[in-house]
Amino acid sequence: MNALIAVPLQSTTTTSQPFANVEIPTLLLSGIVWVPTIVALALLLFPDRTDAHRARLRSVALTAVGLVAALGVLMWYGFRDQGATFAYEEKRNWMQALGTSYHLGVDGVSMPVLLLSTILFLTAVLASYRVRDRVKEYFFFLLLLETGVNGVLSSLDYLLFFLFWGMQLVPAFFLIGTWGGGPRRLQVAWKYLAFGLVSSGLLLLAILVTAARAPSHTFDIPTLHDAHLPVAVATLAFFLFLGAFALQLPVFPLHTGFVDAQSEAPAPVAAVLAGVVTKLGAYGLIRVNLGEFQDVLHKFRVPLLALALLTIIWPAVAALRQDDLRRLIGYVVVSRLGFLVLATVSAQPVAVNGGVVLMVADGLSAGALIYLAASLIERTNTRSVRAMGGLASRMPRGAVLWIFAALASIGLPGLAGFVGQFLVFLGAYSADRKATTIALLGVLLTAGVLVWTIQRLFFGPLPESLGSVRDLGSLELSYTITLVSLIFLIGIIPGFMLLDNVNFGVLTLLTRGTG
Amino acid sequence: MPLTALLAAAAKGPLDTWSPTFFSGWTLFLPLIALLLIVTFTIDSRRASAWISVFFALVAFAGAVVLLAIELRHPAYKEHTLTFLQFFTGQSGVASEFTLQWGFLADPLAAAMLLMVTGVSLFTQVYALGYLRREDGVVRFYLSASFMTFSMSGVVLSTSYGELYFFWALTSVATFVLVGHWWQRDAAARAARKVLLVTQVGDIGLLAGIIYIFFRFHDLGFQALRSQYAGGKVGQNGLLIMSLLVFAGVVGKAAQLPLHTWAPDSAEAPAPAAALIHGAAMAATGVYLLARTYPLFIASPRALTVVAVVGGVTAVAAALWALAEDNLKRLIAYATISEIGLAVLAFGAGAFSASVFQAFAHGWSKALLFLGAGIIVRELRTESIAEMGGLWRRMRTTGVLMLIGAAAAAGIPPLSGFVSKDAILSQLLSQPNAAVTAVVMVVTFLSGLYMFRMFFSVFAGPTVRRRRFEPERIRDPGGRIRTGMVALAVFAAAVGLFDLVRAGPEFVRFVTFPGQKSGHAASLIGSVLTSLAALLGLAVALLVYGLRALPASRISGRVPFVPRALSRAFYLGDAYRWGTENAVLRAGQVADWVDRVVIDGAVDRVGGGVAGMTGPFRWAPSPRIPQLALGAFAGLLLLGILAGAVLGHLKL
Repeated sequence: MNALIAVPLQSTTTTSQPFANVEIPTLLLSGIVWVPTIVALALLLFPDRTDAHRARLRSVALTAVGLVAALGVLMWYGFRDQGATFAYEEKRNWMQALGTSYHLGVDGVSMPVLLLSTILFLTAVLASYRVRDRVKEYFFFLLLLETGVNGVLSSLDYLLFFLFWGMQLVPAFFLIGTWGGGPRRLQVAWKYLAFGLVSSGLLLLAILVTAARAPSHTFDIPTLHDAHLPVAVATLAFFLFLGAFALQLPVFPLHTGFVDAQSEAPAPVAAVLAGVVTKLGAYGLIRVNLGEFQDVLHKFRVPLLALALLTIIWPAVAALRQDDLRRLIGYVVVSRLGFLVLATVSAQPVAVNGGVVLMVADGLSAGALIYLAASLIERTNTRSVRAMGGLASRMPRGAVLWIFAALASIGLPGLAGFVGQFLVFLGAYSADRKATTIALLGVLLTAGVLVWTIQRLFFGPLPESLGSVRDLGSLELSYTITLVSLIFLIGIIPGFMLLDNVNFGVLTLLTRGTG
Repeated sequence: MPLTALLAAAAKGPLDTWSPTFFSGWTLFLPLIALLLIVTFTIDSRRASAWISVFFALVAFAGAVVLLAIELRHPAYKEHTLTFLQFFTGQSGVASEFTLQWGFLADPLAAAMLLMVTGVSLFTQVYALGYLRREDGVVRFYLSASFMTFSMSGVVLSTSYGELYFFWALTSVATFVLVGHWWQRDAAARAARKVLLVTQVGDIGLLAGIIYIFFRFHDLGFQALRSQYAGGKVGQNGLLIMSLLVFAGVVGKAAQLPLHTWAPDSAEAPAPAAALIHGAAMAATGVYLLARTYPLFIASPRALTVVAVVGGVTAVAAALWALAEDNLKRLIAYATISEIGLAVLAFGAGAFSASVFQAFAHGWSKALLFLGAGIIVRELRTESIAEMGGLWRRMRTTGVLMLIGAAAAAGIPPLSGFVSKDAILSQLLSQPNAAVTAVVMVVTFLSGLYMFRMFFSVFAGPTVRRRRFEPERIRDPGGRIRTGMVALAVFAAAVGLFDLVRAGPEFVRFVTFPGQKSGHAASLIGSVLTSLAALLGLAVALLVYGLRALPASRISGRVPFVPRALSRAFYLGDAYRWGTENAVLRAGQVADWVDRVVIDGAVDRVGGGVAGMTGPFRWAPSPRIPQLALGAFAGLLLLGILAGAVLGHLKL
C-alpha cells in the first residue's frame, strides 16, 4: 500500500516541463475526477438500440463508478494527517498567464465528502435500472455530473473550482429535464438551472474580485487563503461567495427550486443532488467563507445564525404539510443542511468536525431515504403519503431500512447522524447559546415529521389497493443496505471511520482563516 | 439466598480477580450478543430466537446477581472507561482536547438497578414464551426485548452524560418498537408515534442540559463532575438550568406531568412489552438518572423543589386518573405514573435512598400486574373492567398472583411496596415537611384505593354476561406464563424483606449517597401511618367495589363534572392534540403556502421576466444532443478563460 500513502509534493512548483514530476500516486486525484468523464465520452461510441446494448452501457457505467469508488476507498485508506496541509496534491502548469494552474489536493474537510460522493454515485448507477429510454445519454450526464462534483471537492485553484462548479450544474439540468418523472419536469429543470447559473455568476464574480485584489496575481486557493485583502474587498467577496454557496445549499428562502427538483428528478439523480451536490455548497462555505474570510464571518455572525436557524426550522415546519413523499424528503434534507450552516458560522473546531461528519451522515441517510421512497412510489403507483399505509406487512425489509434511515436523519445515537449532530451542538453552543438551543427544537420538528411519516407509511391497516405490493428486490437491497450499514459503522466507530483524519484539516483551515 | 451467600464469600478475594466492572460489562453486552445472534442466524426460527433471547437474559441476570454480591462486599464506585472519540481542538487550557468516553461502572446503585432490569426482562421473556406462542412477530418481540434490555442496562451502567444520552435515546426507540408491536392496529401505531415524539421532547431537553454541562465544565464524566457542581465554577442560576434540563429528560422518560401522555397509550403494547416498559424502563431510566446525578441536584436546592412539586402533582393526579379509568391496562399504566411520581417526589424532598428503593420495588409488582392483566384481557377478550368480575372462582392462580401484585403496589404490609413507602415516609419524617408528608399519605391511600378497586372489580362479584362469551372457557394459565409470573411475585413480595426486619443487606443502607444521610430513621410512626393509609384505601375499596355496600355509581352520579374530567385525565391529552392540530400543523400549512405561492411565485416572476427578455428557449432539453452539454461546458470554459484574460490584461 506504500504507493497509496499520500505524499504531498511540495517541489512541483519549480517545474518547467508540465509532466516531469508525475508519479503514480499523484495521478490518483486526477483519476477520481476524470475517469467518469473519459468513460462518459467512451459511452458515446457504444450503440444503444437493443436491450443487450443497454445492459452493456449500464455495466460500463457501473465499472466506471465502481473504479472511482474503489479509488476513493483506497485513497481514504492511505489518507493520513501527515502534517502537510493537503494530501495527494497535484500541481501542473495550466494557463500560467492567467495566474492559474491545475492544482488538486484534498484535506480532512474535502476527503470525507469526496468519499461520500464516490459511494453515492456508485449507488446511483445501481439504482438507475429503472431508466429505460435514452440510456446512453443518461449515463453520459450522470458520469459528467460525478466529474463536476469530485472536481469541485478536489480543486485547489479558484478557476478550476469554478469550471467544475459549472460542470456539475449542466448535467443535473439535463438529467432533471429529460428523465424527470412529472409533467412539470421542464419547468423545474429550468428553474434549477436558473438558480445554478446565478450561483455560478456570483461565484465567478467573487473569484475575480478576490484574485484581482490579492497582493500576488494568482487563483491558487491555499495562496489566497494566506493573503490579506482590504476589509471592504473581503466583505464584498465574502458576500458574493456566500450568495453562490447559499444558492447551492440551498438556504431559506432559496429552497423552493431544490424541493421541486427533488420531487421531479429521477430517484438516483435526486439522491445524488440531495446527498452530495447540496453538500458542495456547505463545503464551499467551510472552505472559503470560513477558511478565508473568518473575520468577516465573525462580523456578520448574527444574521448568518438567523439564516441557519430559518433554514433549520422553516423547511421542517413546511414538511409537516407535504403529501408528496419526495417533496417531504426534500424539505427534511434542506432542514438538515441548516445544521451545516450553523456549524460553519460557529467557527468552532468541534462544531466544524461535526459538520464534516454530518455532511457524510446526512448524505448517506438522504440517499437511502430517497431510494426507498422511489421503491415505495414505484410499487404503490402513488406519491401521496396519505394513500399509503400498513406497508410493513408487505415490505418488512423496506420498512426496517426506512426506519433506520429516518432515525439516522433525526440523530439517533448509534447511527451516523448522531455523532455529527452532537459535535455540532457541543461546539456551536460555545459560540452562540440561543441559536443552538433553537436549533435543538429543529431536531424535534424533523423528528416529528419523520416519525409521523413512518407511522403513516408502514403502520396501521393495509389499504386494499396495496395488497399486492412486493418487498425490495436484491438489487434494491444491495445499495440501500450499503448505505445503511455505512450509517451504522460511522455511528458506532466514528473515530476509525472518519473523525481521526478530519480534525487536522479542520484545525489548519481554522487557523489559516484568522491569519 | 444461598447462591448470593456463596458468591459473596467467593468475592472476598482481591477485587482485581472479581472485578465488578468485568461483570457489569458482560451483563451490558449479553443482550446485544443475543440480538446479533438472532439477526444473523435464527431470524426465521421463532423457537430458536426466543430461547436464545431467554438464555442470554438468564445469563445477564446471573451476571447482575454476581455484581450485586460483589458490591455487597465492596460497595465502592468503580468504572472502566474507553475512548469513543478524541481529538485536539487547537485551543488552550481545559478545552485543548476534546474527548468523549464510554465505559461501564459498578456501584451499589447500578448493581441494584441492573438486577431489577435484567430480572424483569428475564421473567417477562419467560412469560412471553407462552403468551406469544400463537401470535405473529415472536422473533420481533424477542429482538425488541433484547434491545430494550441492552439499552436499559446501558443507561444504568453509563459512566458519563454522553454515554448515558446514547443509551437513553436507544430506550426511546426500544419503547417505540415495543409499543408498536401490533402495528397493524391503528391505535398501536398512533401510540408508538406518540411515545417517540413525547419522549423526544424530554430527550432534547436532556441533550440541551448535557451540552450546557459540557460548555460549563468541559467534561461529561459522572465521577469527574461529582465534586465540581458545588465548586463555585457555575452560579446558582446555571446549576438550576442544568438540573432542570436534566430533569426534563426524566419527565419525558418517567412520564411525569406534563409529558405523561404517552404512558397510558403505551398500554397498547402486548402484555410482556408493557411490563418491560412500565416495570423496568421507566424506573431504570427516569428515577435512576436523578439518583445518578444527585450531586447536581443537591447543588441546586431550587431544582429539588421543582422536582418535588412535579413528582407530587403527578403522583396525585395520576392516582386520581387511575381511580376513574375503566380500561384495565391503562389503569395500571396510570398507577405506574403515580408510583414513579412518588419516587420523584421523594427524591425532590431529599429521601434519596428511599426514592431509589421505591422505583426498584415498584418495578417487580408493576411488571407482575401487567403480565396478569395480559392474561385476563386475553381470556375475557375485553379491556374494560366494567365487563369483568367474578374471576376469583375461575382463575384462582392469576387471582392470587394479582392479589400479591396489587397488595405490593398498594403498600399493604409486609410486601415490598409497603416497605418502600415506609422508607420514604420515615426518611421524610426526620426532616418534617407537612405538605410532602401529606402528599405521600394521600398517594398511599389512593394507591390502596385504585389497586383494590381494580382487584375487586375484576375478581369479585358476578361475571358480567356478554354476547358470544362463555365464562366456562376461561382458564388459568399454566407452564411458562405461570413461571414468569410466580418469579415476579416472589420478588415483588420479598425485595423488601431485609429492610422490613432491618437486618442483612438492607436496600436503603446499601444504595447510599455519599455526603447524604441514609438508612432508616427507624420511625415507628412512619410505618404506622403508611400501613394505615394503605389499609384505609383497601377498606374503602372493599366497601365500594368488593362488597358493593356503597356502589360507585351512586357516588359518581351525585357529582356532575368531576368523574368525566378524571376519566379524560383532565383533558390534557385533548389539549395537546388540539394544540398540535391547530398550531403546529396550521403553521406547516402556512409555511407550505408561503413556499409555493410567495417565494416560488417571486422566483417564477423573476425567471419569467428574464426569459421574456431573452426569448423562448425552443431548443430546451432535447437529450439526443449531448453535444449541447459539451457546448455548455465549453462555453463556461471560454467564459472563465476570457474573464481571466481580461482581468490579467487590465491588471486589476
